[in-house]
Amino acid sequence: MYPCTMTVKVLLFGPYAAALGARECMVRLGGDHSCAGVLAGLASERPELGRLLPGARLAINGEFAAADRPVTAGDELALIGLVSGG
Amino acid sequence: MSVQVTILDGALPPPPPSPSPSETGASYPDGCGAWVRFEGIVRRIENERPIEALEYEAYEPMAQKTITRIAEELVRKHGLIAMTVLHSRGRVAVGECSFRLDVLSGHRKEALAAMDEFIDRLKKDVPIWKRAVWST
Repeated sequence: MYPCTMTVKVLLFGPYAAALGARECMVRLGGDHSCAGVLAGLASERPELGRLLPGARLAINGEFAAADRPVTAGDELALIGLVSGG
Repeated sequence: MSVQVTILDGALPPPPPSPSPSETGASYPDGCGAWVRFEGIVRRIENERPIEALEYEAYEPMAQKTITRIAEELVRKHGLIAMTVLHSRGRVAVGECSFRLDVLSGHRKEALAAMDEFIDRLKKDVPIWKRAVWST
C-alpha cells in the first residue's frame, strides 16, 4: 500500500536538462509510486519536456528500471532518453 | 579477462604504440593474435551544419557501470583477451578523438564482432550525450 503522496527528485541530463534549464527536478507522485508513475508525473508537471518524453527510460540507482518497478525513498532517479555517446 | 574503462576530460590523448604489455615485456599478451582499435573522431559537419566541437556530458556513475558491464559481457561472449574503453567528457574539438576502443583476442573475427556489438550497445544504452558547438 503506497502512502498518498510522495515527492521524488529526478536527475536530468542532455536534452532534458536543456529543456528545463536545470540538472534536476522534483516530481510529486499520487497513488502510483512506480517508474511509470514518475514518468506520468513528469509529463503532467513538466510540459516543457513534452515531445522528449516518449521513449524515455528511468534509471534507479544507476540501472534501467522497468515501468512497474516501485520507487522508494532514497532511490536515485535519472531520466535517460536517447543517448549519443561514442 | 581484462576490462578497463576510463572517462576523462576533453579530447583523448594519443594512444600508446601498443596495447598493454605481457608479463614477459612483449608488446602483446600471450595468445594475442589480433589487436583491433576504433577511434571516434569529431567530424566538422553535424546535421549538415559546421561545428567547432562537441560537448560530452555523462551520468558518470551509470556510464562507468554500464560500459564495464557491456565490456565484460562481450569479453565472455566472444572469448576475448581484453577490452579497453576511453570516452571523453567535456569539450572535444573537430578532428580530435572522443572515444577509443581497443580489443585484443586470439583471432580477428571475434575482435571485429565484439567491437561492432560494443559500439551498437554504447550508442543505445550508455548515458552519455553530445551537444554540438556550432561554428559562428
